[in-house]
Amino acid sequence: MSAQNIKQISETLDQSYSAIVKRQFRKNKMAVWSLRFIFVIVFIGLFADFLSNDKPIACSYKGNTYFPIAKSYGVSLGIAKWPKDIANVDWHSLNYDWALLPLIPYSPQYQDLKNDNFKGPFDEQDVPSFRFKHFLGTDKLGRDVMSGMIQGTRVAMMVGVISMSIAVVIGILLGSLAGYYGDTKLKMSRIRIYMNLLFFALGVFYAFMVRSYVLSDALSTSVGSFFIQLLISLFVFFVFMIIANVLVMPLKKIPFLGTQVSIPMDILISRLIEVMVSVPTLLLLLSISAIMSKPSIFVTMIVIGFLGWTGIAKYVRAELLKVRSLEFIEAAQALGLSEARVIFKHAIPNSLTSVLITIAFGVAGAILTESSLSFLGIGVAPEEVTWGSLLSASRSDVSAWWLAIFPGFAIFITVTIFNLIGEGLADAMDPRLKQ
Amino acid sequence: MFKYVLKRFVYFIPTLAIIALVTFALSKMAPGDPVKLALGNKDNGGEAGQTSEKIAGEKAYHEMAEKMGLHLPAFYFDLTTVATPDTLYKYTKKPERENLSRLIAKYGNWDKIEAYYANIKAVQFEMYKVQQDSTTFEGSRTLNSEINRLFTLSKDDEIEASLKTLQTATTLSPNFNSVAAKIASLQQSYSTVKTETANTKNFIPAIHFYGLNNQFHRWLFGDKPYFFGEEQPGQTAGFLRGDFGFSYLDKRPVWSKMKDALPWTLLLNLISIVLAYVVAIPLGVWSARKKGSFADNIVTFLLFLLNSLPVFWIATLMITFLTTDEYGMNFFPTFGLGEVDPSMSNMEVFTERAVHLILPIICLTYGSWAYLSRQMRGGVLSVLRQDYIRTAKAKGLAEGKIIWKHAFRNSLIPIITIFASIFPSAIAGAFIIENIFAIPGMGKLSFEGLVARDYPMVFTVMLLSAVLTLIGNLVADILYAVVDPRISFNK
Repeated sequence: MSAQNIKQISETLDQSYSAIVKRQFRKNKMAVWSLRFIFVIVFIGLFADFLSNDKPIACSYKGNTYFPIAKSYGVSLGIAKWPKDIANVDWHSLNYDWALLPLIPYSPQYQDLKNDNFKGPFDEQDVPSFRFKHFLGTDKLGRDVMSGMIQGTRVAMMVGVISMSIAVVIGILLGSLAGYYGDTKLKMSRIRIYMNLLFFALGVFYAFMVRSYVLSDALSTSVGSFFIQLLISLFVFFVFMIIANVLVMPLKKIPFLGTQVSIPMDILISRLIEVMVSVPTLLLLLSISAIMSKPSIFVTMIVIGFLGWTGIAKYVRAELLKVRSLEFIEAAQALGLSEARVIFKHAIPNSLTSVLITIAFGVAGAILTESSLSFLGIGVAPEEVTWGSLLSASRSDVSAWWLAIFPGFAIFITVTIFNLIGEGLADAMDPRLKQ
Repeated sequence: MFKYVLKRFVYFIPTLAIIALVTFALSKMAPGDPVKLALGNKDNGGEAGQTSEKIAGEKAYHEMAEKMGLHLPAFYFDLTTVATPDTLYKYTKKPERENLSRLIAKYGNWDKIEAYYANIKAVQFEMYKVQQDSTTFEGSRTLNSEINRLFTLSKDDEIEASLKTLQTATTLSPNFNSVAAKIASLQQSYSTVKTETANTKNFIPAIHFYGLNNQFHRWLFGDKPYFFGEEQPGQTAGFLRGDFGFSYLDKRPVWSKMKDALPWTLLLNLISIVLAYVVAIPLGVWSARKKGSFADNIVTFLLFLLNSLPVFWIATLMITFLTTDEYGMNFFPTFGLGEVDPSMSNMEVFTERAVHLILPIICLTYGSWAYLSRQMRGGVLSVLRQDYIRTAKAKGLAEGKIIWKHAFRNSLIPIITIFASIFPSAIAGAFIIENIFAIPGMGKLSFEGLVARDYPMVFTVMLLSAVLTLIGNLVADILYAVVDPRISFNK
């Protein structure tokens, strides 16, 4: 018996839920291919700068060897400076000794003035060689569409990652609180509730209200300084919360204040979900972008994340409602494990598999929302290139069919593969299919 | 049942209140001075111009602020610090008020800051009285613009620099002597602000209560008497009584603009929802009956693809390829609703409109159509697995009868309730479609409002669609309970 066979058999013998789901998922060819495609997207997204750039990856100029793309990261982080020879140059007109150019030798913002005003892929292009051809054409300003598509892939990837990680964190936290504790299981002494509420208010006051101008000034100077100030604010806030809970300890001894009352977590969180669901996402995004003085794609991503957690929370809540009455949780509780340990080590991991479905659909939805917004030119700065903004460029000239087809197709494919994965996961987890 | 519906209604109100609060908060956070936006962004009391003009501008500003209710406190109460006075809202100009609160956060001594501001006002007023002649021309310009700037400066170095500029400008003409005296006392008051600080006050929280006479209350409930009583000029009925304010763009009431736009959005959505249901239900049943067959696989896959086709892409493709001569397929008009004049017969009007609406309706419909078909298929399939269907089969009922008489009605339950969730997505879909095809509906109206910073329009549409979504959810829940009595509210 070969080693591979043994591995296969031991896999089939593995009867844990996630192993069964994995096996079922592998049977779905479309979903498996979609998963592989995601790796391609992630690769393009991560290395977008090395795939399309007007700078060379490596070059030798006037006898010195440079790595301009890697260098540009250092420059934008503020830890490096451009050498004199190659500061503020048109990279295409330099006389290199030798140069390793990226796959697409254009950056999304580079304006090829010889090929502006919508040059199609099959039109005659004024380029030095085939290497510099605009394979997907150019837009009105002569910007390379292929390069924009690659940059757009990065944006789409970031939309998925950023907005979904926010949604997942909030969704799992609130969903598991609601599902695990229900309306009766979370008990606290009265004094703890009062103190927490009071110090929460005080914490918000001192951490955020008193410091509001410090924070907003930091935001207008730079993102980095804003994060530092935000961390200070959060630190102040948590100090307050810790003080509250320390103060509770002696006060609990007083009979009335020490009485345990249950907190209806489930009702509170379910109502919150209901409110969130009734807010029309697109219109709220529009209103928020209306009040932003400087539009940025990151704000859009963050807002999508903060609005998109309800689906995940509902899922986790329902799963935990089921899980919490199962024997192994009861066993964990009987062993005297702490609540947090039971929730995070035992209850949540068992519901995570089904959360993956919501995440897959959620990513598809987030990409769709972001691209429709940037298509309408809302919440995206003029210099940011996304699939949506590329597509909208086609509206100014109907003869530019390549602008109408390729970016839209990219959105469609990406949304479809995430939907396929979601679908595949849902099928794989359907208990009726279990052998 | 009645108890359930009642309970559901009771929960409806706080949800509505929260959404109203969020909308109000967003509208307060909107950048720019709302009064100036409402006045058409005209600069009042600017650098140039006659004194009388400036005073008239100032007056217009305050009248507009009063009309919009901005002379009132923002909310029922205010959570601030002890350093902030409860009368800060009386500074109706938003940039000034914001600057004052910045100064308070910096120095904490409101009485000194108030005196300093009064001194700026005094300098400004003194400038009105200056005899204008050839020597004052240059100096007046600098002085006026610098004073206006001073109202919005909070950084110490900037204020000092500005005060210095003021001082040097007064030396340009002997007519400025009286102004120079005022500027001297202004400088004096600023240095008191800086020296006699009361920063500890900034660390003591305080709550100010304002009562019902505030902006939020006025915006939501209005200050007009409800049933009897004399109506005063300048009173509004409030959002809940259908007064949505007026548009900054053309000063028309928001409601009358929406009245023109709403029918088109409703028409588009109604047609598309009806079409979606009419096609989706039989298709879903059909493909559930043929489950596993080649035809079903194809249809299911196509519906799946259709479901993830971005609507704005399809719309763009249609406009690019089907509405122009560029690719030889000019079948449809590109934009708008077409020209209709009174001489046309009803039939002609209908065809003109219909030709313009075909593409938008296709774009609006296919998504919900695909979604509904998939749901219907799933619904029928899950019902067909039930025991009572097996019983029906076992006793030899014809397949058609089983499907239509026993399975169909039960599988309709989820489909009916989806109607409620289609509604909000239809509003969002119409937003994109109307803008691409230039149809003068609600979506286009709110988009134009957004671009032009016409906040009353934007926030009205937002609150209204949130309310519609809420009502949709409410109806769905009640429908659910009606068709399926097993559902209770709590679990």
